[in-house]
Amino acid sequence: MDEVFKALADPTRRALLDELFREDGQTLTALEARLPMTRFGVMKHLRVLERANLITTRRRGREKLHFLNPVPIRLIHDRWVSKYAEPWAATLSGLKQDLEEEE
Amino acid sequence: MMDRYQVVDGAGTMSVFEIYIKTTPERLWEAITDPDMRAKYSFGVRTDSDWSKGSRYKSGVPGVIDIAEGENVEVDPPRRLVQTLTALWSDDVKAVGTSRVTWEIEPVGTSCRLTVTHDQLPADANSEVYGGWPMILSGLKTLLETGETLDTPGSLRYAGSSA
Repeated sequence: MDEVFKALADPTRRALLDELFREDGQTLTALEARLPMTRFGVMKHLRVLERANLITTRRRGREKLHFLNPVPIRLIHDRWVSKYAEPWAATLSGLKQDLEEEE
Repeated sequence: MMDRYQVVDGAGTMSVFEIYIKTTPERLWEAITDPDMRAKYSFGVRTDSDWSKGSRYKSGVPGVIDIAEGENVEVDPPRRLVQTLTALWSDDVKAVGTSRVTWEIEPVGTSCRLTVTHDQLPADANSEVYGGWPMILSGLKTLLETGETLDTPGSLRYAGSSA
């Protein structure tokens, strides 16, 4: 869990996750073109994200593709966010459901 | 041994979900294939099948809602399960058609790495079809490691429903 928080603490790494959320399964070359950073810098950030299990890689033919793994973020949500924020969120989503059912 | 990093027949849009769970491959396989255990971390939805190669499976709450159905294409307990998936819970998700879900279990120390790869999706696939995996896998981890069920909003959506 520490590695996930550390990985998320950097704006470039959050930008990489957003980029993979926008389009999953990108190559290093494609990601590098999206960020004002050297190839080496992007590689270093991708390694930190991979160690935290926030991204996984797969080969398709000759290409190495990077995929967003949102599961550790869900674990943080279920362990931390829901505990502090959700009594409120649950009321709101219940309200939304009630309103939608009335339509 | 199969190279887990190589995508086999990887066509269409693909999502990969990975989680480490402190359990044995046998218990993990049971949690995936036992309908009552499955319901505890899948919004209360059961998945019934005889789990033989080529057999069909059906997920849903009988008499309340159909969630998904498909074929068990590869069944290799307690390591690998490949299934086709047709989502059924709304017209929007039905329109996505048939995709593929691969479950892979690998022991790592005293834990298991579970990888769920959802691929062969159309490029514009409704994200509802594959968006539920993080919540399902988080609930599966909680169930196997603590014996508890998650109670975050939505996680027990169909629990306790019956016709």
